[in-house]
Amino acid sequence: MTSPISFRSLLSPTATFKALAEATPNPMRVLFSYAIWLLLLPPAFAWLGAYAFGWRLGAENPLLLSPATLTLISIGYFALLVFGFVTTAIISRWMASTYGASDSLGLHFALIAVVGTPLAVASVAHLFPHVFFNVLVLIPTMIWSMYLLYKGLPIALRIPPERGMLMASSLVGWLLVAAVSLLGITVALWASGIGPSLGV
Amino acid sequence: MEQAVTSAMTTSNTHLRDDSYLDDIVSRLVQFSVFWAIVGMGAGVYIAAQLVWPALNFDTAWLSFGRLRPLHTNGVIFGFGVTALMATAFYTVQRTCHVKLFAPRLAWIVAYGWQLLIVLGGLSLLAGWTSSKEYAELEWPFDIAITLLWVGFGIVFFGTIAKRKIKPIYISNWFYGGLIIVIAMLHIFNNLAIPVTLDKSYSLYAGAQDAVVQWWYGHNAVGFLLTGGFLGMLYYFLPKQAERPIWSYRLSIISFWAFTYLYIWAGPHHLHYNAIPEWVQSLGMVMSVILLAPSWATMINGVMTVSGAWQKLKTDPAMKFTVLALAFYGLATFEGSMMAVRSVNVVSHFTDWTVGHVHSGALGWNAMITYGAFYFLVPRLVNRPLYSTRLANAHFWLALAGTMLYIMAMWAAGVSQGLLWLSMDEIGELQYGFVDIMASMTSYYGLRFIAGFIFLVGAVMMAYNFYMTMRSTEAVRVRPPQVDPAYQA
Repeated sequence: MTSPISFRSLLSPTATFKALAEATPNPMRVLFSYAIWLLLLPPAFAWLGAYAFGWRLGAENPLLLSPATLTLISIGYFALLVFGFVTTAIISRWMASTYGASDSLGLHFALIAVVGTPLAVASVAHLFPHVFFNVLVLIPTMIWSMYLLYKGLPIALRIPPERGMLMASSLVGWLLVAAVSLLGITVALWASGIGPSLGV
Repeated sequence: MEQAVTSAMTTSNTHLRDDSYLDDIVSRLVQFSVFWAIVGMGAGVYIAAQLVWPALNFDTAWLSFGRLRPLHTNGVIFGFGVTALMATAFYTVQRTCHVKLFAPRLAWIVAYGWQLLIVLGGLSLLAGWTSSKEYAELEWPFDIAITLLWVGFGIVFFGTIAKRKIKPIYISNWFYGGLIIVIAMLHIFNNLAIPVTLDKSYSLYAGAQDAVVQWWYGHNAVGFLLTGGFLGMLYYFLPKQAERPIWSYRLSIISFWAFTYLYIWAGPHHLHYNAIPEWVQSLGMVMSVILLAPSWATMINGVMTVSGAWQKLKTDPAMKFTVLALAFYGLATFEGSMMAVRSVNVVSHFTDWTVGHVHSGALGWNAMITYGAFYFLVPRLVNRPLYSTRLANAHFWLALAGTMLYIMAMWAAGVSQGLLWLSMDEIGELQYGFVDIMASMTSYYGLRFIAGFIFLVGAVMMAYNFYMTMRSTEAVRVRPPQVDPAYQA
């Protein structure tokens, strides 16, 4: 059987979730044949955009960083995304027993990959690194991803929608914490001298 | 107002003598709370619009941002929030003690007195009276009135506990009790001042001491009112909605004492890199980080309690709000501990990230948990089904969308501001001017205005739903049930 997840999930997420419900994918296969390539997109787009145009934060001059710094930041971005992806899938599997959902790790890897696909693809907005433009593109995408999580989780993990709603909310709680951690880690790195030149 | 007090007291007079629960007061307080939610949030949306279109102040002093902002914060915290806490504290303390409210007349005076205070206090803020202390802007005559009413609130609450028929004191009452005692202490000490005229006083504290006392107050108002008080609400209404006991009662007690011990130290994290001793800042930072443990213990307790009650979601719109409130509680407490770390705070302080953080707590936690409690309470108070479950479900999605949009817009704005304010050029000079940076924030403020408006629309829908559910009815009489002999006081 071909892998139940692919970029087609962007166009027909429900069919993908239904296909997932019938499958028991291998977690390593999901990670290396699909997710890792997906997770390469945001740092790659961010590197290209920031190198070509510089980040526009709203002030007159764009913030230009050297290619070496950009590479370092992009590697850090990629490592954090992989870490976030794997931990989210593991946490999802950990939560599964509480909500009576399937405990196949590969299924959780695949679920998180499908839910995250729109966000990874929408990171093409990083090619034009204007913060507000990125906010405008990524917020609706994030809302779409949240919708996919609430809708797809009970289908893929074969649990009633109400139970799925509770599990999805717990995962949203974790994802919000992960998102704000990313912000915190980023500014803490800036404050320790990695990244832009700040007067701290 | 006086006429309303008299009329309410007359109608409830017949019920003052019997031993059924005093629920008329709960019903009235819920209505007031919803009213203040709309007024307070409305003021918030208006000033959010002013940050996009400054001309909306029409060059009128009382419509200016400086006067409307404290009206917004006082309206939502003391109008919407405290009124909701009074309503739920009065409701739950009776149920958990199996007795009618102690001193019913005093309870009515507290309930209506508080509303009068919010009205007059709000007008004084519009008139420009201010002590200039954030979240404690009201001038000394109001501070004295708050003290008296708060003591009355305490007498009613602790009096009810004293005459309880059940020996154990349920966990929600510990949180409500903590709220009453600690807020009394904070309010009195922070507002010690020398009055000069009716509308002006000067704080007893000066300089750095003033700042330390102010943020000891400010952060613990967040702690014991916006967190502790609302945890009291959570611990009663969540098990009721789920129809199952708290997952771990022992964990709830441990987290209560850990929370109470730790929170009181956390205030100095508002004063990082300020003119207060560095060890005080470090102490505030460390305590704020440790505080995450009891906060998350509570969140896990809530999540585990609700996890087995998923069937209830089919019929109960209230529980959705409570479930989501727990997720935002987890976010806000984590974010708060993180922002208290100095290397994060150096960028986040004075930016809109802080505003976003406050609103992830205020909208995502305080408002959602209150909505959950009210959607549970209102049909039971009048013994009628909710007018429209569909409207309540629509409210849920609006509240979620508004909160998410608000937080994300402020995250992006805040991090950009922090970065721009601190950016240096080649010769070590600050690269950007404050005014230029603020001017570049207009787009984010536009998003924030839309987010707030969406959240407000949800609240208006809830008000209409409650109006249709409660109209031309009174609270039903409920008598305390028999107490299990094993728990008799």
